[in-house]
Amino acid sequence: MVHQEAFEWYIAVYLFLAGVGAGSMVVAAVADMYDREKYLSFIKAASLIGMPLVSIGIFFLYIDLGQGMWKPWLLIFLFANPASAITWGTAILTIFTILSFIYGAYNLGYLKIGCSRCLNWLLIITGICTAGYTAVLLGSLKAIPFWHQTALPILFIISATSTGISGAMIVKLIFLKSDANIKPIETAHLYLIVLEIIMLIGMMLIALQGVPEMKYAAESLLFGDYAFLFWFLLVFTGLLVPAIAFGMEEAHKLHMKTKTVVTLEIMVLLGGYLMRYLIIHAGVYTKKFAEYIVR
Amino acid sequence: MNKKYAMAYIIDRCIDCKACMVSCKAEWNVPEDFFRTHIDQGLKKELHGKFRMDFLPSQCNHCDKAPCVTVCPTKASHNREDGIVYVDRSRCVGCKYCIPSCPYDARFYNHDLGVAEKCTFCLPRIADGLEPACATTCPGNVRVFGDINDPASEISMVLGAAKENKQKVWKLREDLGTLPNIYYIQK
Ligand code: SF4
Ligand code: SF4
Ligand code: SF4
Repeated sequence: MVHQEAFEWYIAVYLFLAGVGAGSMVVAAVADMYDREKYLSFIKAASLIGMPLVSIGIFFLYIDLGQGMWKPWLLIFLFANPASAITWGTAILTIFTILSFIYGAYNLGYLKIGCSRCLNWLLIITGICTAGYTAVLLGSLKAIPFWHQTALPILFIISATSTGISGAMIVKLIFLKSDANIKPIETAHLYLIVLEIIMLIGMMLIALQGVPEMKYAAESLLFGDYAFLFWFLLVFTGLLVPAIAFGMEEAHKLHMKTKTVVTLEIMVLLGGYLMRYLIIHAGVYTKKFAEYIVR
Repeated sequence: MNKKYAMAYIIDRCIDCKACMVSCKAEWNVPEDFFRTHIDQGLKKELHGKFRMDFLPSQCNHCDKAPCVTVCPTKASHNREDGIVYVDRSRCVGCKYCIPSCPYDARFYNHDLGVAEKCTFCLPRIADGLEPACATTCPGNVRVFGDINDPASEISMVLGAAKENKQKVWKLREDLGTLPNIYYIQK
């Protein structure tokens, strides 16, 4: 079996940052529609990171390019092929970046807009598309069976939303120094992390029963070269510990200081990055000489 | 009729000498660590628990429905009229998306030029009426290159003869719908 080597950690950073930016904006837009006053601190925090993180993500994509980096005029060709996920992904990202810039400026009081409801909806739609697109980019490749599954976009959207909340929470607690009560978002965050754990377990169990390439990819994560990163940093640090801590707080068994919450949010972010990193590196090519697989 | 270039490998003749890999590399200045064509070793279980090893060449299959062409945002990767799948180096931005899209792992990233690279069926050579470098070099005459739309071409004859002699002729992973153009022939 052959692991793909074309996509490396740059792409993982891009997928991750685009996810955090999009996730934070989507949650902010949803919260805005429920109760702008109540969630204002969160909305402002998300506004501070949404557009910048997506832009930094795009920057990583850009420096991963070959010739296109030093001949930027070639980038116009990125829109040449509507059949390519990159072509419409670039379009979605461009639209989303502009919208989140406008929304950010509005929330921070630099801009007045007429129909903020419309903007909320547009952000929710383009934000989900952005987060989902990062997975469709990988998932549309039939050559890599481990990526070519419908669960991937769902997993990425859940993780984007969860890490988006974490990113905005950190800004809210540290930079805006706000302790406004935004309980429903915290509760939603807990459920998202639990959902992500369930999705991950499901994906692994299914992959282990899948075609040999898929099984090999899952095994490289579960027991192979990536096992330490997978179990310790992604599952334990990035998902289980935050889930247990947030769960206990939810059940009023634990009261966490700001520092502890920030640490947990950073752990969620770390897990979100590792999830992208590991899925990219576990990409195993489909066998070209299938007739020669000895059973 | 348009030309349609293809290649056939008579794999019983391959002795795993890797001369094709080397000649291709020398001809096209392929960067260190990479090759445009490969020889894999294939183990197959035969009757009575015996195993058989085959040497299996591979290179870009110049697929008619090439995933690398579908996913290339810039259309740098394209199907030419003569059947060759070609990367236009002046257009490629080096996004690398085509590389994991190829089910045959035929592409790699050229770090020096910042573009995706793969076998070109030796386009500049065949334009001059020469054979591809790998086919010329192969001491076992494994590789037969030519226009399959021309019934008098060597490849059409070889494929015709294989069919007549009821030899096994197949292409790689046809189940993926890529319509590859490299034929494998085996007794
Ligand atoms: S073998 Fe791979 S690189 Fe060649 S045309 Fe087919 S998909 Fe493209
Ligand atoms: S690396 Fe070049 S040839 Fe490959 S998909 Fe990107 S632009 Fe197209
Ligand atoms: S046809 Fe030319 S480019 Fe392709 S593998 Fe043979 S020598 Fe290399």
